[in-house]
Amino acid sequence: MAVPDSKKTEDQKDWDACLASIAVSNSEAFADFFNHFAPLIKSFAFSGSSMSAIHADELVQEVMIKVWQKAAAFDPKKASATTWLYAVARNCRTDLYRKLRKFDTPLTAEDLMIEEESQEAFDLLQIKRNAETIREKLQALPNEQRQVIAKIYMEGKSHSEVSAELDLPLGTVKSRVRLAINKLGVQLAPTGDSHD
Amino acid sequence: MIKHHPDVNLLVDYVSGNISPAKAGCISTHNSYCGICRKTTFQLETLGAELLKDLESPPVHNSTFDSVLARLENSPQGQSESLNCKQESFPLVLKKLMSKEFEDLEWRKVTSALSVSRLHTGDLKHECALYQIAAGGKIPEHDHKGVEMTVVISGGFSDRQGVYHKGDFIFREKDQIHAPTALESEDCICLAVSDAPLRFTDWRYRWMNPFLRFSAG
Ligand SMILES: [Zn+2]
Repeated sequence: MAVPDSKKTEDQKDWDACLASIAVSNSEAFADFFNHFAPLIKSFAFSGSSMSAIHADELVQEVMIKVWQKAAAFDPKKASATTWLYAVARNCRTDLYRKLRKFDTPLTAEDLMIEEESQEAFDLLQIKRNAETIREKLQALPNEQRQVIAKIYMEGKSHSEVSAELDLPLGTVKSRVRLAINKLGVQLAPTGDSHD
Repeated sequence: MIKHHPDVNLLVDYVSGNISPAKAGCISTHNSYCGICRKTTFQLETLGAELLKDLESPPVHNSTFDSVLARLENSPQGQSESLNCKQESFPLVLKKLMSKEFEDLEWRKVTSALSVSRLHTGDLKHECALYQIAAGGKIPEHDHKGVEMTVVISGGFSDRQGVYHKGDFIFREKDQIHAPTALESEDCICLAVSDAPLRFTDWRYRWMNPFLRFSAG
């Protein structure tokens, strides 16, 4: 449960620009990107359900190959480089899990998460502000909420798996998630259509 | 306007990749219609990125980088296919789910008003299908052994709890009985995913239950 707050101040490299260079096949930029993000992807692999070192390495490779192949599709007006990378890593991890569990599906995780081109491209400033708010508020999140969020996102566990692991009622896990998401300032659809 | 959305817990499971393929398809279909949930989804992905940045950085072998370069060299150059969407009416994700043109889908007539076409997602625990209800047609009252997600693709329907239009996302708990009726104006098409096949509760239609169990494949 040790949260590494002793993070060095983030190096200020402009990863959006780096991805743009990768998109035009700049291999130096690709090496920079790899050096910075491959360790994080490896960590992401290991935080999930007991993945072997071989499969963690496979995940790093899969993600980086996707980065090279899909960099041209990255649009800095729509997302930051890290948000884009998170989605790529998540999809690759989901596909790898399914492959390892011999879950045979004709559809990739990416296929199933295509959302139609948004008419209203988000404005760049708002994206940056969003990320900053989330980053700040994340540090201030009560431990019990952050723990649940981290288990779901990084360890790849569903609400019910977290509830079983922490021996908490499902409703408690759900409400911790809702509280956390609220505190992080994420905007939700106005609706009374919620259910436990 | 879209009035019914997936709740935040579902969206978090979706964004973090903790949801079955069929259900993910249902949510992204809704998101394809719903700018509000797309925005929420985007912010939830930003959260994922922040958590990713906070992970530790264990060293990665140079050999991994070399393997990546070697594999890139051996793989055909060029971007992955960009799907051409000629048919404006369906979201891209739905086309992936259908895996063929809408006109080529096979439909099974269940009642005079209801036809069902099963979609193959490889997900054996969930039934994923398109439902077509004739304008004004009623689906016999039924309940679910598991939860059911529905997205309206075209037209609309109503049940005791509300009226639903194109893009609306409806979530029904286990054992909630309902009897949807398509709106009078046009045929209704829905995408639905359920944990277990639905069962008709009205005795007059119970004989149809075996017909709803889709043959495999
Ligand atoms: Zn929505």
